[in-house]
Amino acid sequence: MENLLISLAQNLFPIFGLLAVGGAALMVASRQAVHSVLGFLFAMLCVAGCFLTLEAEFLGIAQLLVYAGGIVVLFLFVVMLVELTKYKEKDIFQKQTKVALLAVAGGLLVVGGALRNALFGPAAKEALTLRPEITNGAVLGNAQAVSRGLFADFLLPFEILSIILLVALVGAVVLAKTERV
Amino acid sequence: MNWLKAFNPSDIAGGMKLTGKRFRQVLFTANRRKVPMHFVAEYPEVKVKLAPRYRGRLTMIKDEQGEIKCVCCLACEKICPTQVITIIKGKKEGRKMPFPTRYDFEMERCIFCEFCVESCGFDSIILNHQFELATYNREDFSLGMEGSENMFENSAVGKFSVAE
Amino acid sequence: MPMTLTQTVVMALIQIVVLLAVIMAVVPIITFAERKVIGYVQVRLGATRIAGGHVGITGPINRAMWALGRVPVFSILRGLPIFMADGLKLLTKEDVIPEKADKLVFILAPAICMVPAFAVFAAITFFPGAEGLFTFPASFPIVGGLKFMGFLTDINVGLLYILGVASVGVYGIVLGGWASNSKYPLLGGLRSAAQIVSYEVPLSMSLLVPVLLVGSLSFRELSVKLATEMPLVAAVPLFLGFFFYLTCGFAETNRVPFDLAEAETELVSGFHTEYTGMKMGFFFLAEYANMIVVSAIAAAFFLGGHYLLPFGLQSQLIHALGAGHALNQPSILFFVGKVGFLLFVFLWIRATLPRYRYDQLMHVGWKFLIPVTLVNLFIAAAIKFVWM
Ligand code: SF4
Ligand code: SF4
Repeated sequence: MENLLISLAQNLFPIFGLLAVGGAALMVASRQAVHSVLGFLFAMLCVAGCFLTLEAEFLGIAQLLVYAGGIVVLFLFVVMLVELTKYKEKDIFQKQTKVALLAVAGGLLVVGGALRNALFGPAAKEALTLRPEITNGAVLGNAQAVSRGLFADFLLPFEILSIILLVALVGAVVLAKTERV
Repeated sequence: MNWLKAFNPSDIAGGMKLTGKRFRQVLFTANRRKVPMHFVAEYPEVKVKLAPRYRGRLTMIKDEQGEIKCVCCLACEKICPTQVITIIKGKKEGRKMPFPTRYDFEMERCIFCEFCVESCGFDSIILNHQFELATYNREDFSLGMEGSENMFENSAVGKFSVAE
Repeated sequence: MPMTLTQTVVMALIQIVVLLAVIMAVVPIITFAERKVIGYVQVRLGATRIAGGHVGITGPINRAMWALGRVPVFSILRGLPIFMADGLKLLTKEDVIPEKADKLVFILAPAICMVPAFAVFAAITFFPGAEGLFTFPASFPIVGGLKFMGFLTDINVGLLYILGVASVGVYGIVLGGWASNSKYPLLGGLRSAAQIVSYEVPLSMSLLVPVLLVGSLSFRELSVKLATEMPLVAAVPLFLGFFFYLTCGFAETNRVPFDLAEAETELVSGFHTEYTGMKMGFFFLAEYANMIVVSAIAAAFFLGGHYLLPFGLQSQLIHALGAGHALNQPSILFFVGKVGFLLFVFLWIRATLPRYRYDQLMHVGWKFLIPVTLVNLFIAAAIKFVWM
């Protein structure tokens, strides 16, 4: 009993990871758009579970809060209100397999290269550990460590990133406004 | 800023105070006072006290001697908007006025408008306070002067009532 | 004594079963209380009997209830068996699935609605003390000698967990409305989703005040420190935040006066129009469980949780009387009492306020609540900066 539980606990990450991949596969394979969103939601929840098994509670919950709670809801809104039954629209969305496969292969190459560099390259040790000496021992938990990183050590990149988001927001407002005039 | 008016805290507090007061009153006095705070009666155990003007079933009245007061002027039959009263005029010994040999009343179509009572110049019919008027048989709605279903007492309609 | 993994799992399972049993018992009682409270507020008597009069199968029960009505204190208990009748009715009703509905989503939606509503209870602390509620006797097979704690877990991001999991519940409503393949449910689901997504912002913002004052996200730490370690001025943002939070909580749980998702006059009954039987019962269970969660959070963070005085005033009492005084001891009764009172407030408001219009709701959410909760946050930050 005890050994079984321990081995289960040690393998939680692959379990959640496989479930997430399954959800993603469901999302791609499903013909019904809302079912795709459901698969996406399931994958997001499983990714949150993955974070939890890695003892990154804050990231896991943030994943839940931001992706599952916010972004997928917006996806759902759009998908529910856009009915993909007319053939013309189906042409647009479903007859691009070759192009999509090419794009995915290219993307895989780039991401795989970056991952390989990050995991096995010379900078791997440095980048992947949250450096404890930065926080001067003031870190109590996960949330503190992340906020310390965001608001003290990497404040400038963080703010620049948020400006990019702001630009996107303003752009969206401008686009929406001009249509109405 | 007009929409903010609907959320005026003092208005909301006032409403809450009123409903809170009602809740308190009913909670502490339910079934404990002669005149209860709550407006509902626990039918069928407790019958509600009806107002004097309540319009129940049509009833014929007898005078002190036990004589039917109706004199067959047919005013009620004429004015009834749903035509549910049928009177057959007749004579009775020792009575000057005409006497109804039949007075039929089809209650299933009566709308309890009280026009018949208003039109009667002799006060010989009223709408009584009987309100349990449902029944399982259509025949029970045909009331006359004879039989168990007569026009003088509370009829047996509503006989399924648990109160008895 | 460190627990083995088996002990931890078994203990957690026991706690989960107890917790679920308590919720499942409390939810029907709330529905009964709802009938009674609304009845009394409207100068009626509410439910007093089940299925007819003093004769028949239910006759003895009804006669007993009639007798109960004569006893002043117990008069409010009349009609109590009606919650069993309600449950029985929901369980035995025919389960209709509309022909053109999306079957998978239609069946999944009530579950998606209910699972998060129950999962959030995992992070709620019912009793903060390290001594637990009671200790299992040593003769118990696996858990002998272990303490039964007043909380399931105490993760250090408990509050975020509650917000995050609760935000998944909205899918149940949207998908239920969509899968019914009918106009009114779809409109109700969309309305409700828009409402919940927009009110999550001020809700989180008003909850940031306690988080800022304490500097932690753990439910247990928050509820204890908010009651015992606050300066006197902290009562101001906590007092204001309580009302903001309660308003947002009403909107989040889709309760009157913000029950736009099931506005009968406009939408038949909103997202669950096509649902029958226990599927609809799941939606109801989720709604009432959410009410309990909102009340528990408000009670723990703003009303002093397991201590006597609300809004952090308990710390003044501790200063005055000393920590050992009887009034300064935490008790689960205080917490349960506060949650019960807040649930009563839910029903009280439902009986008092009419439903708001949709534009009023959105205006208040975006143009009033978000700015004022931000200002409240500034006040709290200033207090943290100056006094703490
Ligand atoms: S109450 Fe009206 S409908 Fe009924 S018998 Fe009299 S006049 Fe006719
Ligand atoms: S109006 Fe009066 S007196 Fe005339 S027939 Fe009718 S009941 Fe008789």
